[in-house]
Amino acid sequence: MTKRMFNKTSKCRFCRMGVGEVDYKDSQNLPKLTTSQGKLFSRKRSGNCARHQHSVKTSIKRARFMALLPYVA
Amino acid sequence: MRMYEGLFLLDNAHASLEWDTVVKHIHDILQKYGAEILKTEKWGEKKLAYKIKGHKRGTYLLIHFNAKHSAITTIKRDFQLSDYIIRSLIVKDDKIEELSQTVPVEGAAEKTVDKIPEPAEKNLPEEADLSRKTADTV
Repeated sequence: MTKRMFNKTSKCRFCRMGVGEVDYKDSQNLPKLTTSQGKLFSRKRSGNCARHQHSVKTSIKRARFMALLPYVA
Repeated sequence: MRMYEGLFLLDNAHASLEWDTVVKHIHDILQKYGAEILKTEKWGEKKLAYKIKGHKRGTYLLIHFNAKHSAITTIKRDFQLSDYIIRSLIVKDDKIEELSQTVPVEGAAEKTVDKIPEPAEKNLPEEADLSRKTADTV
């Protein structure tokens, strides 16, 4: 038999929580996806799936525009 | 008609003294272009992440409304011209989410959440990204 690894739980935190789209107003959890400088974490670092990483990107940019998150900290 | 969600960053000087006037001003602009206001929430005063036009603090106001997509451009322009509003963001939305720490605005008309945009409009390709809040999780 070939070795096949199955992850029962997804690596993506949003998939695990069953979140559809990430909300830009969630100012408590969005900083966890940015560095202390305010840069976005890479997909490799955050572990997000493609769909949720796109969603995170959009919501962080919206939050920055509304001054909920810094562009540069 | 479809549902939108607008977040407004208001000037504290006006918002703290004449809150009702400011809220009514925003509602008037929306209603002038045939929008139907569903929910109004005050987030309260917050420190901004960076200075905007010299402001270090501001009051946030979240409004859910139904409007025609053709009216959004003019609504946005009117908000930019307003003195009370420092910044505004209008995005498409399909459901009103409950925010626990927020307090509903007194006096503002608060209606129930059974207004859902028509499904016919959901099928447009450009809206596909934002309208996927339904429960098709992996």
